[in-house]
Amino acid sequence: MTFDLIHIQLILMAMLVLGSIIIRIRGARSLQLTFNSALLLSIALIFLLMDILPVSGTYMNMINANQFSSFMGFLFAFGMLLFNLMAYSYSESYKDLALLADFSFIGMYLIASSVSLVTIFVGIELSSIPSIFMILLSKRSIEAAAKFFIMASISIAILSFAIVMLYGTSNTLALSKYGPGGIIAFVLFLFVAGLSFDASVFPFNVLIPDVYQGSGAYITGMLGGVNKKAGFAAFIQVLVLVFIAYKPAFEIVALLSLLTMLYGNVVALLQNNLKRLMAYSSISQAGYILIGIATATAQGIGASIFQVFAHMFLFIGTLALLAWLESRNRLEVDELIGLNNENRFAAFALSVFLLSLVGLPFTIGFVGKFLLFISAINSGLLWLAIAGIINSAISLFYYARIIMAVYANKAHARHLPIDSGVFAVVAVCLVVTIVFGVYPGPIIALADGAAQYLLP
Amino acid sequence: MNPVIVLVPFLAALAYISFSRGTRYARYAALAGSLVSLALLPFIAYGSYDIQWLRTGGYSFPIALAVTQLNYMLLAVVLSITPIILLFSSGFMDIVTEQKRFYIEMLAFSIAMIAFSLSGNFITLFIAWEFLSLTSYLLIGFWHSKERANRAARKAITIVLMGDLALIGAIAIFWNAAGSLQFSAIIAAAGSGNPMIYAGTLMLLMAVLTKSAQFPFYDWLPDAMEGPTPVSAYLHSTTMVKAGVFAVAVLLPLFASTGISAVLLTLAILTAVIATYYAIVETHVKRIIAYSTVQELSLMIIALCANAVLAGIYFFFVQSFYKALLFFSAGSGMKATGKEHIDDVTGIRSSKLIYITTLFGVLSLAGFFPFSGFFAGAGLASSLRANVPIYLIISLISIATSFYIFRWVFRISGQPKNKSIGIAYAALPAQMKLAMAVLAAMTLAASLFFFYMPSFFSGYLPAYTSNGLSAGAADALVLMVLAVIGAALSYYVNIARRRKTKEQEMHARKGTVADAFYIKFSSFAYYLSAGATLIDTHISNFFDAFGRAAMDTGKLFRRFSVGEINAYALVVVASLLLLFAYAYVVLR
Repeated sequence: MTFDLIHIQLILMAMLVLGSIIIRIRGARSLQLTFNSALLLSIALIFLLMDILPVSGTYMNMINANQFSSFMGFLFAFGMLLFNLMAYSYSESYKDLALLADFSFIGMYLIASSVSLVTIFVGIELSSIPSIFMILLSKRSIEAAAKFFIMASISIAILSFAIVMLYGTSNTLALSKYGPGGIIAFVLFLFVAGLSFDASVFPFNVLIPDVYQGSGAYITGMLGGVNKKAGFAAFIQVLVLVFIAYKPAFEIVALLSLLTMLYGNVVALLQNNLKRLMAYSSISQAGYILIGIATATAQGIGASIFQVFAHMFLFIGTLALLAWLESRNRLEVDELIGLNNENRFAAFALSVFLLSLVGLPFTIGFVGKFLLFISAINSGLLWLAIAGIINSAISLFYYARIIMAVYANKAHARHLPIDSGVFAVVAVCLVVTIVFGVYPGPIIALADGAAQYLLP
Repeated sequence: MNPVIVLVPFLAALAYISFSRGTRYARYAALAGSLVSLALLPFIAYGSYDIQWLRTGGYSFPIALAVTQLNYMLLAVVLSITPIILLFSSGFMDIVTEQKRFYIEMLAFSIAMIAFSLSGNFITLFIAWEFLSLTSYLLIGFWHSKERANRAARKAITIVLMGDLALIGAIAIFWNAAGSLQFSAIIAAAGSGNPMIYAGTLMLLMAVLTKSAQFPFYDWLPDAMEGPTPVSAYLHSTTMVKAGVFAVAVLLPLFASTGISAVLLTLAILTAVIATYYAIVETHVKRIIAYSTVQELSLMIIALCANAVLAGIYFFFVQSFYKALLFFSAGSGMKATGKEHIDDVTGIRSSKLIYITTLFGVLSLAGFFPFSGFFAGAGLASSLRANVPIYLIISLISIATSFYIFRWVFRISGQPKNKSIGIAYAALPAQMKLAMAVLAAMTLAASLFFFYMPSFFSGYLPAYTSNGLSAGAADALVLMVLAVIGAALSYYVNIARRRKTKEQEMHARKGTVADAFYIKFSSFAYYLSAGATLIDTHISNFFDAFGRAAMDTGKLFRRFSVGEINAYALVVVASLLLLFAYAYVVLR
């Protein structure tokens, strides 16, 4: 066994968790932040390096290093880093949150790098159970935590049933092509239902808005920006690696994609609470991501992975601003009036994020949607692309409402300083949004590489 | 030289204004940027320039910039009109606190417009088109404390966004059908009679109709007059609204080979008639000019679709100058008097310079020799003479145009109601007057381009130049006679008759006799346009209705996500059953 980058990663992850535990017991908040940020940043950068090189191979019969897992690992580590910065500013129990986030991160990486369905199962458990406690810690919101718990447990129940069925008929738990005739539709149905909870896909996402609204905005940013992306990593892997030869699997994804977009966008029109509105917005974005999966081509999967990347930054950036506004008790759309007079940077950043979610050219959101729609058209799903376009148009209405409020004039506005942690997160997200919107080549190459691994 | 270079001064000015603390130099920075950009124009070489942007699945989607004769002409119009507009603005926008925002929005718009004029494939076209919509929304609603301005901006963006949506749809369909987003590839695919191209072109048609304010989407343009005057002169007469016409000019073979140009021609004729009618009866100083713009856009489209391409393009070119000039006159009058109704904005004669330059614009629009509008009208008439019905319609429209623009000028040059108005005119900033003088000179100078035009376009696609540009002596004479008839009629109605009835009017002021005359005179047009307005209202309410329907559906959904665990369990079980049923069907 040679010593490889992945070993460094595993050691770093072990250090991350152990160090966090020690600092949790005796150590300062700032130490926890420094330690977590430093380790998460190095983990993220090494994953990026592993993706570019690329490093591949199976380790300990459990970790499968490849371009997909490296890219996803990079995303999750970076997302968690941003989460740490947000949580440090707003939570008194930051030390616990950081520790739980580390557990959650390891679960997510397990999902992305799994060799078998069992690892995915364990990964989902490991990533969602800490999230329940994080929701509890954020605002002591028992209702939201309970709902998340119910969601997670139903998901796990259905998923374990699915895995059992698959094992019973094919005698393997590996992520490999599944072929026995008769029962396949039923197994597929169980998998899609089980994973839909984790990827917030209609109709199993009904509780998501409650959860997102009930938790602190920085937790919501982590849930929608990172946790649900891990759900997509599972969704993509199972669909592509197990069911690729089975056409109806992708027909049902196309259908779910349409319903998810429509549900998210239509209900978002009615919302006044910003966190709830962003919850529906993230549901609709999940629908767009499914478009690429529905194409069942490497190009489409690449587009989906790109959109996962794009949405993570857009969502975390927006939610960081909402966390800042939440600390000032301004979470209704009407309460944003005059934000531009109070803080021009925040107003500008929020507008860019929202317009990018609609699909403004030269931002990352446009590139993602463009790739998704083009891939859908290329594989004969013109109707789905048109549905996506119409949905983007609907979404403009609720985003534009926010932007109009932000830029409405307010007399006697006092300068509202932005917290440094939030500023860092927002600045990073803003730079990513614009730089990779103007020059998306490198990210497209990485996303396509990840897709090429899954669908050679 | 790469045409991107002309964007640099604009970007520099934009960056300077955005990051500078004060607003004192904002106007000079904007003006300087636009002048430098204009100075760079002669160095731009013909050709196509691709900027690599997106690559996926073996396809590449570059941002393609093209400099053909057509692109170059639009670029020249935009770059030469921009400094004049900014010069006028520097006098007109005297509210210091709003200046920074104004110049940022104006420069952002200019950048979008320049990018549009250079577009070489559908990617660039779409991006520029989208930014045009956004920036125009900001500029129309510039006075956002005015409820009417907000409403106008919302209306404009609603209608224009429908067009944007149609444009994306068209692009998706074109990509599906032709596998390319190059103009030439799609035009070639249209030749093969692909039905998908037909559907795509229909959607493109809708985009053009919304952007260039044609029936049934013309309604937003007059309302957009709520924006400041420089915005009206810039966006709503010379640049943005012509984007749709320009798209038609670039993609003319596509419209022609699918037969959709006939649809476009019909709609344009209808718009021309309706807009002329409204220009005759409207009483808001700026809205009259706005309806006149709608009518002229229709005439350009008529010319393009009826194979008078060069005449149409020449019209496209010269219209910019005298139309901006007329808007400037209207804006000066509104600024000096503080009023908007045509009977309240009077006394333009108080300032000799403004009065004379206004007359340049009026005479040009009416089609008097030697102003550029005359050459445009004569070129159109000569090229379209073979097509008798269109020729007749255009002749009638010439009379009506002369009629309404003289009505406009007779009214605004009437005796001022009080002395202070004369002083207000004299006190208008020198920049405004200078800008008007420059435009008046260009209105004359653009006439010369008439003779240079055929050779300028000789290297362009042969289909465009087959039907050359000329003005027969007879056509010129007829045009002059028509213009004089219109002017005389206008004199009779607005001056002679009004003078006679003035005393009666003093007793019974139920609306002027002249207005009653128009309504009788054009009852047919009235009913036609009433119907049109009805349809138009429905269409502009389409999105609202759609939103409401969506909201009702949303309420239905919301009932299920009230937070009740029981309801949730119900939803999950129902969804599982549905999915299971689906699986069962597949299983069978």
